[in-house]
Amino acid sequence: MDWFFKFPIKFQWDPNSIDRVIRNFSIENKVFFDGIKIFLTQLITFLYTIISWIPWWVYLVVVFILGYLIKHDWKTGLLYAAMLALIGFFGLWDLMMITLSIVLTAVFLSLVMGFPIGILMSYSDRANKILHPLLDTMQTMPVFVYLIPAVMFFGLGKAPAVLATTIYAIVPIIRLTNLGIRQVDNEIVEAARAFGSTNLQTMIKVQIPQAKATIMAGINQTLMMAMAMVVTCSMIGASGLGMEVLISVNRIEMGRGLVSGLAVVIVAIILDRLSQSMAKEKEKSQ
Amino acid sequence: MKKSTILLFLVSLSLLFSACSSSGSKDKTVVFADAGWDSIQIHNAVAGYVLDKGFGFKWSQVTGSSAITYEALKTGEIDVYMEVWTDNLAPYAKDLADKKFEEFGINYADNAQGFYVPRYVIEGDAARNIKASAPDLKTVADLAKYPKLFKDDENPSKGRIYGGIPGWEVDKILFNKFNFYGLNDNFIYFRPGSEAALASVLTAAYEKGDPIVGYYWDPTWLLAKYAFVKLDDAPYNATDFAAGKTEFAAVKVTIAARTGFATDYPDAAAFLKKYKTTSALNSEMLLHMQETKDDVVKTSIWFMKKHPELLAAWLMPKELALVTKALEVK
Repeated sequence: MDWFFKFPIKFQWDPNSIDRVIRNFSIENKVFFDGIKIFLTQLITFLYTIISWIPWWVYLVVVFILGYLIKHDWKTGLLYAAMLALIGFFGLWDLMMITLSIVLTAVFLSLVMGFPIGILMSYSDRANKILHPLLDTMQTMPVFVYLIPAVMFFGLGKAPAVLATTIYAIVPIIRLTNLGIRQVDNEIVEAARAFGSTNLQTMIKVQIPQAKATIMAGINQTLMMAMAMVVTCSMIGASGLGMEVLISVNRIEMGRGLVSGLAVVIVAIILDRLSQSMAKEKEKSQ
Repeated sequence: MKKSTILLFLVSLSLLFSACSSSGSKDKTVVFADAGWDSIQIHNAVAGYVLDKGFGFKWSQVTGSSAITYEALKTGEIDVYMEVWTDNLAPYAKDLADKKFEEFGINYADNAQGFYVPRYVIEGDAARNIKASAPDLKTVADLAKYPKLFKDDENPSKGRIYGGIPGWEVDKILFNKFNFYGLNDNFIYFRPGSEAALASVLTAAYEKGDPIVGYYWDPTWLLAKYAFVKLDDAPYNATDFAAGKTEFAAVKVTIAARTGFATDYPDAAAFLKKYKTTSALNSEMLLHMQETKDDVVKTSIWFMKKHPELLAAWLMPKELALVTKALEVK
C-alpha cells in the first residue's frame, strides 16, 4: 500500500543540465545580452541625469501643486510636500533619485511594451488564451528564481533590476488595457463602424478613450508593482533606498531600517495618489 | 456559527502544536543552529548522525540568521552551534567570559577572505584562449592601475570592485580598505546585495572568461571549483585591521554549546570537543554538494565514509564501532 500514500513515480532528472544550458546560453549570446544591458544602463543613466538635475524645491512645489489639484484643498498639497521633504531631512534624497530612476525606467518599459500587448489581447482571443497563463506565471513565479539567471545574463546592478521589475510590473497594464477595451460597450463600437470608421480609427478614437479609466488604473498598478520590487532588486546590487533597507535589516539596525522603509512608503504613496488623481481628471474631462 | 468554527480550528491547532512539542522533550535531543549556509548544515548533519548512531540522540536544527541563532544559543534554545564565526559576532569574547555559553573547541581556523581575481586575469589560460590581461597584478594596491580592465558598465569611466554583502561586518572593513588604497578615485565599490548574487556574478564572469575582481572567502564550493587568486595585502595586525590597512587574519571558527550541555551529556560533549576539520575538508564537501546536488544529509554521509580517520579521531572505540556499522548499512 505504499504507493497509495506516497507518490510512486519520481523523475530521475538532472538539474545540472538546466544550469549548463543557461550558462552556455549566456556565454554564446554574450554580445546580445551585453547589448541589452548597455541599452538599459544608458536609459537608466539618462533618466537619472534628468531627474537628479532638477533641484529639490521644484519637486516640493510640483508635488504641492498636484496635491492641491486632487481635491482643490491646499492641505493635501502641503501634506504631500511635507512628506517628500521628510525624505530630504533624513538625508535620503539622492538615494530616492536612484530608486526613482530604476522604478521609472521599469514603468516606462512596461507601458511601452504592455500597452500594445494589451490591445493585441483585446482584439485576438487566441493571443488572450496564450498570454494569460504567461502573465500568471510572471506574477507568481518567485522573483529569486529568475533573478539569478538574470545575473548570469546581465551581471549585477541596475540593468537586471529594471528587467526583473519590468517582468513583474508589466502585468497589470496588459491585463487592464485588455479588460478596459473589452468592456467598451459593443453598441458604441458598432456605431463607430456604421459611420465608416476603420479598425484603427475605432481603436484610437473610440475604444481607447472609452477604456481610459481602466487603463489609467493599470498604469497606477504598474507603478505600485514597480515600487514593491525596490527592496528585492537591491539583492542583486541595485543601489538606492532598497539597498539602504537591506543594509540596515542585515545589520539589525532597526531605526535606520524604519526610516528608509518609510521613505519607500512615502514615495509610493505620492506616486499612487498623483497617478490616481490623473486618472480621475481624465474621467471628469470626458 | 462561523466564529465557533474558527475557534474550534484554533484550539485544535494549538493542541496539535503542544502535542508536537511535548512529545519531543522526553528523549535525549540536541538542537543545532542552522545559520543558513551550507557548511554549517553539513557539520550539523555529521555531528547529528554521529550523536544519533553513536550516542542515541535525536537531533534537529533551528534556522535563523547568525545573529538570531547566536542569541538563541545564549538563551539555551539551541544546544550546539557547529560554526561560530567569532570575528563576525562582536560580543563573542565578552559573552564567553560571562559564561553565556561554552566554547568546545575550534572547528577550523585556516580560512581566508579578501579580494579575489580569476587566475586567468594574471596568468592567462591557454586552454580557453584567454590572454593574461593584468600580468603584474599582485596586491590590492595594484588594482589602482586597472580601472579600465574591471570596467563598471554603469559608470564606464570607472572600474568596479565587488565588495562585501551589505550588513556583514566585513563590508565595512572592505570599504575602509577600498578608501585606504585610494581606489575610490577611479573605482566604484559595488555592494552585491546578497551572497547568491555575488556567487553568480563571479561564476558568470569566470565561465565567460571576463575579468572581475571581488570579495570572496574560503572555504566555499566556488573557490574549490574555480581557480581564483587572492590579492596580497599588508600582513595582519590587530590595530590597523579595522581601518582596512591589512589583510584578513584567519577567522577562528569555533564550536560552542549552551551552558550546561557538557554537564548534562558529558560523553556527547567529549565528542564535540574533539570535533575538528580544516578549510580543505570543508571545501571538499561543499564542492561535492555543489557538483552532485546532493542534499546536506547525503553529503554528510558521503563525507564520513570518505574520511573514516576523522571519525576515529573524534570518537571512543565503542561509539566508533556503532557509527561505522551504521554507515556500512547505508
